[in-house]
Amino acid sequence: MLSPDGKSLLVGDTAGNQMLFLDPATGAVQREVAVSDPYQLGFSPDGKFLVVNGLARNQVDVYDPATMTLIKRFAVASMPSHLAFSPDSHTVFVSLQGSDRLAAFDLTAMAPLWTQPVGPTPAGVLWLNGKVLVADMGADYVAVVDPASGQVTGRIVTGKGAHNLFLSPDKKVLWVNNRVSGTTTALDAATLKVGRSYNIPGGPDDIDFAPDGSLWITRRFVEKVAILHPETGDFETIDVGRSPHGLWLNPKAASP
Amino acid sequence: MGDPFDLIAGWIHETVLIPLLYTLGLMRWEELAGGWALFAVYGAVQVMLTLAICLPLERWRPVEQWPDKTAVGVDIFYTVLSRVGVLPLVTFVLFYQVQVALNGWIVDRGWIPPTLERFIPALTGHSLLTFALYAVILDCADYWRHRVSHRVRWWWALHSVHHAQRQMTFWSDDRNHLLDDLIAFLWFGAVALLIGVPPLQFPILVLVLRFVESLSHANARVSFGSIGERLLVSPRFHRAHHGVRAHGRRSVNYGAVLPWWDMLFGTADFSRDYVPTGDPTGDEALATGSWLAQQRSGLRRLWRALVSDHRAA
Repeated sequence: MLSPDGKSLLVGDTAGNQMLFLDPATGAVQREVAVSDPYQLGFSPDGKFLVVNGLARNQVDVYDPATMTLIKRFAVASMPSHLAFSPDSHTVFVSLQGSDRLAAFDLTAMAPLWTQPVGPTPAGVLWLNGKVLVADMGADYVAVVDPASGQVTGRIVTGKGAHNLFLSPDKKVLWVNNRVSGTTTALDAATLKVGRSYNIPGGPDDIDFAPDGSLWITRRFVEKVAILHPETGDFETIDVGRSPHGLWLNPKAASP
Repeated sequence: MGDPFDLIAGWIHETVLIPLLYTLGLMRWEELAGGWALFAVYGAVQVMLTLAICLPLERWRPVEQWPDKTAVGVDIFYTVLSRVGVLPLVTFVLFYQVQVALNGWIVDRGWIPPTLERFIPALTGHSLLTFALYAVILDCADYWRHRVSHRVRWWWALHSVHHAQRQMTFWSDDRNHLLDDLIAFLWFGAVALLIGVPPLQFPILVLVLRFVESLSHANARVSFGSIGERLLVSPRFHRAHHGVRAHGRRSVNYGAVLPWWDMLFGTADFSRDYVPTGDPTGDEALATGSWLAQQRSGLRRLWRALVSDHRAA
């Protein structure tokens, strides 16, 4: 995760209970900060908050990114996994893998808003066009959630083990990785209509977008990254080592 | 070319575990299942390696020969269950979870989790030396656990499952009562947490130590010579520990990998005999029963020991 000022790339070291700050250009370690159980992290759009999910310790921590001071800890049940913010930075949504729920927290009042069931083993979360989308890894769909109430208003079938979702830089395509079926599915971001699915075996997980239009996809179980060319469906692979998870390209495709 | 162990584990994860977890509605454990798969592969390879080394030794210079080897078959079941199933589960899945939770708690308080490098800063950057030192410390801790298990009546009741085998082979190392294994893991894991063994190194450490322990149980007339016997536990040295006249409190040679602790604390026996093994005080079911019969018999013996202790008090 790139810091809002673009000067540091943050990597959570869960086993080491620390956050690594890397130089995005060189990968050199800038500093290491003791942080409890950093599993997934995200900066609020206004850059004021860094939210860190502790999956093993059932906690959602809100930090002041300037000082890395812990502002607030929310105890949750259970296994907080992925997160997404509302565009106004007032709310953070956290999937709770262990309890099949999505939780919302008010970052202005620093208080929980709601916790609602959204489907089995929710993982990836994304804000899109006034809705919150949640990939349900224990099912084959993405749940569409009303951000105000937490009620599920729709389900879009993408593939078994829907795990994570990403919006293309031009905001036109929503990409969903389905871990059990080993596919990556493209949806129209405006209508949420399901388009083409691509076979990406080996546990597709994270995606980043290259300037040439290709998608780089981590394949957790086969030590590889796939470079998918959506127009042809072909992909080549790069060997990268054990259990590739997070992915950050430099340079990447620019948003218009 | 990637890591073949990791790739095999990944294949098992993708083709067997994930579809199974998905069907059972247990996808929340998907990542941990992947960790288990990797260490199960390590365990399976270790079993094959042990077999490749110990079996020729046992055929070359057997101490004993038995026409009926049914009791050895039960020990094979113990080994596969332990090294491919249970050990990866507890040494990776459980240890990892506990260490992350505990160290997170420590970090929250502004402290730094304990590591060996913090106690001995000169170790920093010398990962192999640190790994070896972890092994030495854990082996010393295991010596004391083992020794106490022979002294405390109820604990010996459980541990006697391990000692009841009259047909001791390299498969016998994992022949333990589940409760005895549980206590051993808790003790081993607590010491590992205290000295800061990294979560991915802990299962590897256990597998390396257990390889030597398997060798030490081999039904083979093998010793390492007068100097070697004092450096590493040999089949002859450990056989004395399993001798029929060395059960319970009367035993010797408690060390699992290094004989140093026995030498240091006065329990070493370097006599040259290859003694018969077994526990003459145990039920026959402990020696020749099925896996389940041995577990039940161990529990009965535990119960009798607890009742007897209660009455004595």
